[in-house]
Amino acid sequence: MGGNFIFASILVPLVGTCFLPVIGKKNSKLRDVAALAFIATAFISSTLALPHLLSGSPVTLHYELPLGLSFGFYADALAVFMAMTASFVGTVIVFYSYGYMAEYENQNEYYAMICLFIGAMMGLVFSTNLIFIYAFWEISAICCWRLIGFYREEITILRANKAFIVTVAGALVMLVGFVGIYGQTGTFDLAAMKGTHIPPWIVVLILFGVLSKSATFPMHNWLPDAGVAPSPVTSLLHAAVLVKIGVYAYARLFVETFNIDKMFTVTVPVVAAVSALISAGAAMKANDIKRVIAYSTISQLAFILLGLSCGNKTGVTGGMLYILTHSVAKGGLFLCAGIVEHNVHTKDITKMGGLYKRMPLTALAFMLCAFSIMGIPPFGGFFAKYLVIDGIISSGNTILGAVFIAGAVMTVVYLTRLFVKVFLGQPTFPHVKEGDRRMVVSVMILAILSLLLGIFMPIPSGLASLVGGGL
Amino acid sequence: MLNSVAFFLMSGTNIIWFMIVFPAVAGTVVCLFGKNYAIRSVAVLLSSAFNLLFAVSLYASEGFNAVFPFVSPRFDMAVSVYELSSMFLVFAAAAFLIVCLYGIVFLKDEKYAGRFMLYMYISLSMINGALLSDNLGVMLFFWEGLLCTLVGILLINNMENPKTAVKALALSGTADLLLMLGIIITVYRAGTPYISQVEKLPVAGVSAAGFVCMMLGALGKAGCMPFHSWIPDAAKDAPTPFLAAFPGALEKLLGIYLAVRIVVDIYDYKPGSKMSIAVMILGTLTIVSAVAMALIQKDMKRLLSYHAISQVGYMVLGIGTALPIGIVGGLFHMINNVLYKSCLFMVAGSIEKQTGTTDLRKIGGLAKRMPVTMACFTVSGLAIAGVPPFNGFFSKELIFDAALESNMVFYMGALAGAFMTAVSFLKMGRAAFAGEMKLPVDSGIQLPGQNKDAGKTGRNVGESSLGMLVPMGFMAVMCVVFGIANTLPLDKLLSSALGIHESFSGWPHSTMLVVISIAVLLLAVCDHIYGFKKSGSAINAADHIHYAPGLRRIYHMAEEGLFDPYNLMMRGIEAFSGICVRIERGIAWIYDDAAVKLTDGTGNLLSRLNNGSLSRYLATAIIGTAAVALIFLAVLLQGR
Repeated sequence: MGGNFIFASILVPLVGTCFLPVIGKKNSKLRDVAALAFIATAFISSTLALPHLLSGSPVTLHYELPLGLSFGFYADALAVFMAMTASFVGTVIVFYSYGYMAEYENQNEYYAMICLFIGAMMGLVFSTNLIFIYAFWEISAICCWRLIGFYREEITILRANKAFIVTVAGALVMLVGFVGIYGQTGTFDLAAMKGTHIPPWIVVLILFGVLSKSATFPMHNWLPDAGVAPSPVTSLLHAAVLVKIGVYAYARLFVETFNIDKMFTVTVPVVAAVSALISAGAAMKANDIKRVIAYSTISQLAFILLGLSCGNKTGVTGGMLYILTHSVAKGGLFLCAGIVEHNVHTKDITKMGGLYKRMPLTALAFMLCAFSIMGIPPFGGFFAKYLVIDGIISSGNTILGAVFIAGAVMTVVYLTRLFVKVFLGQPTFPHVKEGDRRMVVSVMILAILSLLLGIFMPIPSGLASLVGGGL
Repeated sequence: MLNSVAFFLMSGTNIIWFMIVFPAVAGTVVCLFGKNYAIRSVAVLLSSAFNLLFAVSLYASEGFNAVFPFVSPRFDMAVSVYELSSMFLVFAAAAFLIVCLYGIVFLKDEKYAGRFMLYMYISLSMINGALLSDNLGVMLFFWEGLLCTLVGILLINNMENPKTAVKALALSGTADLLLMLGIIITVYRAGTPYISQVEKLPVAGVSAAGFVCMMLGALGKAGCMPFHSWIPDAAKDAPTPFLAAFPGALEKLLGIYLAVRIVVDIYDYKPGSKMSIAVMILGTLTIVSAVAMALIQKDMKRLLSYHAISQVGYMVLGIGTALPIGIVGGLFHMINNVLYKSCLFMVAGSIEKQTGTTDLRKIGGLAKRMPVTMACFTVSGLAIAGVPPFNGFFSKELIFDAALESNMVFYMGALAGAFMTAVSFLKMGRAAFAGEMKLPVDSGIQLPGQNKDAGKTGRNVGESSLGMLVPMGFMAVMCVVFGIANTLPLDKLLSSALGIHESFSGWPHSTMLVVISIAVLLLAVCDHIYGFKKSGSAINAADHIHYAPGLRRIYHMAEEGLFDPYNLMMRGIEAFSGICVRIERGIAWIYDDAAVKLTDGTGNLLSRLNNGSLSRYLATAIIGTAAVALIFLAVLLQGR
C-alpha cells in the first residue's frame, strides 16, 4: 500500500508531463488545472508516506534487474522531508504561474517542464540506486535548461546553456565518482552500501556534482545569471527544487549512507563559509532584484551545506530545517520579486521605491519571508540558523561559527537594503497596482507559512531530527 | 489573593498562556477593537493591570520551575521563576502599565495608536518570555523576536524615510546575532542550555569568546556602545511613548537582567580580571562619549536619548566591577533609570504635545504654563544628575564606590559623566522652563493628534491633560521614594534577589565620595552660570565646551557621524562587498570568457592538426602509440 504512494508521487507528475501538451492544445484551463493536480498529487502522496515512516516501518521497494542490477525506492525521513518540501512549494508555484504566465506563449512546454521537473525531483529523492539518482539528476538539468531559456532571447539561451553545461559537467564528474564506488563495492544500491567507507578522491569527485548543482563557490556563477527566466521558474530552481538537489545528494550520500574522512567536516564547511561570504558581499552590490535574491540563495545554501557537513546530529537537523524554511521563504521572495517585476517592468531596484503603498500585501509577504531568511524569531528560519551554527560550534569549530554569524549579519543588511529600495522610500510608480489575486495569494501562503513554521516548529523538527540517525 | 493567582499560574501550562500569549492576544484585541478611545483605554488599563498582578503574584510566590517540551532539548520551554527574574517581571509590568497609560492619552487621536499598542503588547510577550526562560536558546527566541516589533514601531509614519528603522535593525540585529553566537558557545561549553544547571564557566579560551559575545548582545539591547547609535535617531522619528518604553525602560531592563545573569550565574567573572577591566572600559567610554554628545544637543528628545545611552554606561561600569556593591549599584541604577528616564521622556512628550516641538531653541518660559510638568522635570532631572536625596544619587554613589575600588581612572570617568549630566540638564531645564515664551503668538504649528483648530499659539500653551500628568507624577514621586526609602529597593529587593547579605542601603558610607560628588555638582552649576553669562542664553550655555580648542574638531567629526559604529560597520561591509564583486567578476570571466576562448582555441588547434596531410596523421599515430606503450611500460615496472 505504502509503495503506491511512492509510485504515485513519482509517476503522476512524470507520466502527466506527457499528457499536458496534448491537453493544452485542446483546453488551456484544463491543462493548468491538470498541472496543479499532478504536482499536488506528488505532495499528497509523499505526505501519505508519513504514517509508515512514523510508525517505524518506512516504505521500501526493491526490484532486481538483469545483469545483476537492481533498483528501488525508499521513503525514509530524508526522502519524505525533501519530497514534501519540494512538491508543496512546487504546487504553490504552479498556482502562482496561473497569473504570471497568462500572457506568455509556449505555456504547454512551460507546464510540462515544471511537471517533469517535480517528477524528476520525486524520483531522485526516493531512489536507492546511484544510477537512477544520476538519471533523474540529468532530467532535472534538461528541464532547467529549457525553463531558463524559456523566453528564447539570445541572452536567455546563453545563460540557459551556461547553467546546463556547468551542472552537467559537475554531474559527469560525479558519475565518475559513482563508478569509483561501484569499483569498490560492486553495487549501485545505496542500501547495500550503508556504512561503507569511501576514499577521499571519490568524495571529491561527487562533491563536484553536489557543489555545481547547489551553486556553491566557485561553481555558483550560473545561478545569478539564471534570473533571466520567468520568476516562477527562478523560484522553483533557486528556492525549492534544483539547488536543493545538490544538498539532498550530500545528505543522502555522506550523511545517511557512506562514511567519509573526518577532514571533510572541516573542508566542506570552509568552502561553504567562503561561498556564504562572497555571495553575501555580491548581494550587497547587486541592483537587479532577482540577482540579489539569487546571491542570497547561494549564501543560504552555504548555511545548509554547513549544517549537513559538520558531522553531528544538531547540524544535520538544522540543515534539514534550513532546507524547508529556506525553500518556503526564498520561494516567497522570488515570487514577490516576480509580482514587482511583472507590474513595474524593470528589475532595477535603483528605479524602484515606495511600492508598499501600491502593493501592500506583496510588501508584507516580502518582509515576512525576508525575516525568516534573516533568522528572526518567531519565523522558522531562526531555529534553522541557530541549529546550524550550533552544529558547527559543537564540532569544535568556533571560528567557522563566527564566520557564519558574519554571513548572517550580512544577510540582515542586504535583505533590508533590498526591501527598503523596493518597497519603502519615496513612491516611484504612482499608478502601479497590486499583483494578480492568484499571485498575491501564493506569496501570502508562503509568507504565513514562514511564520507558522516558527510557531509550530516541533512538527517539522520532529521529522528533521530523524535524519542522520547514525551520527 | 496573590497566592491563588500564583497557584493558578503555576498549574499546567498556564504560565505560558497568561504571561506570554495573553499580552499578545490583548494587543491584538486593542488593535482590532480599539478604534474607540474609551474601549482602547479600558482594554489597555485592564490587560496591563492583569499582567502586573500576574507578575506580582509570581514575585510573592516561592518560585517555580517547569519544563515544557518544544523543538528539542535545545529549545524546550524551561520556565524558572525565582526572586531575580520575577522582580524584573514586576518592574517590566509596572513600567509597561505606566507608559501605556501615558501612551493612550498621548496617541489619543492618532490613526496608528492601535498598531502601536499591538507592537507594544507583542514586545511585552517577548520580554516576559525572555525573563521567564531558563533555557538560553528560548531566551534568545524571545529576545531576538523584539527586533520585529522594534522595526514595526520605527516604521510607523516613517515608511518613506526608513533610515532609523534600517539602522536599528542592522545594529540590533548584529547585537542579537552576536548574542546567538555567545549563547551557542556557552551552551556547548556548559553542556546544558539551562541557566540553572550551568556550573560557572571560566572566562578563558573559547568560553571567553562566549562571554564577550553574550555580554555584547546583552549590553547592545540595553543601549550600550557600540550598538547604541540608532537611539538618538529614533528620538526624531519614533513616537515619544516608544522612547519612554524602549530605550527608556524595557530594553534596559532586559539587557541589564541578562548582563547580571551572565556575570553572576553563568560565568566565573572575577573582580580585577582582564575581562572585568574590559567591561568597565566599555562602560566608562559609554558614559563619557554619550553624555558629551548630550551636552551639545538642542533638541530635548535627542538630548535625553544620549542620556539614555550614557546612563547604561553607569550600569555597565557597576556590574563590570564584579563587586557586590557595584552589581547592586548597577541594578539599582537600572531601576532608577527606568523611573527618571521614563519620566523625562514623558516630560518631553508633554511639552511636544503642548508646543508642537521639542526643539529647545523654539521653546522657553514654560514654568508658568506647565508647572506640574516642570515639577516632574525638576525631580527627575535632579535624580539623573545624582543630587541627594533623590534615587539617582544613591545608585551613583554605589557605582562610584565600586569604580574607585577597581581603579581611579574609572572613577574619574564616572565623575566626568556626572559633571556633564548635571551641566546638560541645567541647560535643558533652563532653556525649556525659564525665561520668556519663545513661541510666536500664532505659531501655526499643527500638533500631532490635536484638533485642527488647536494650532497652538504661545498664549494657549497650557498644562497637559491629567492622563499624561498622573504617570509622569507617579514616576517623579517614585524617584523621591526610592531615594529617601532606599532600603526597600536595595536591601529588600536587590540584595535579597542576588543573595547578597551585605546592606548597601541608607546614606553612602564614604563621606569623602559624597563630598566629591557634591563638589562636582557645584562645579557643574558654576560652569552653567559661566556658560550662560558667556553665551547670553541657556540653550548655548554649554557652547564653551562644544567649541573649546581641540574639542570643536572632535565634536564636528562626531556630528558628521565619523564615530558612529553603524557608519563604520556599513563602510566595512561596503569595502568587503567591493572585494567580493571583484572576485565574482573574476569567476564570471572564467566561465563566460576564458572557458569559451579555451574551447574555441582548442577546437581551432585540433582542426588545424586535421588538415589532410598523411605525414602529420602518421606522426600523430606514432606519438600516440609511443605514449600508450610508455604507460604500459610504467605500469609493468611499478608491478615488479
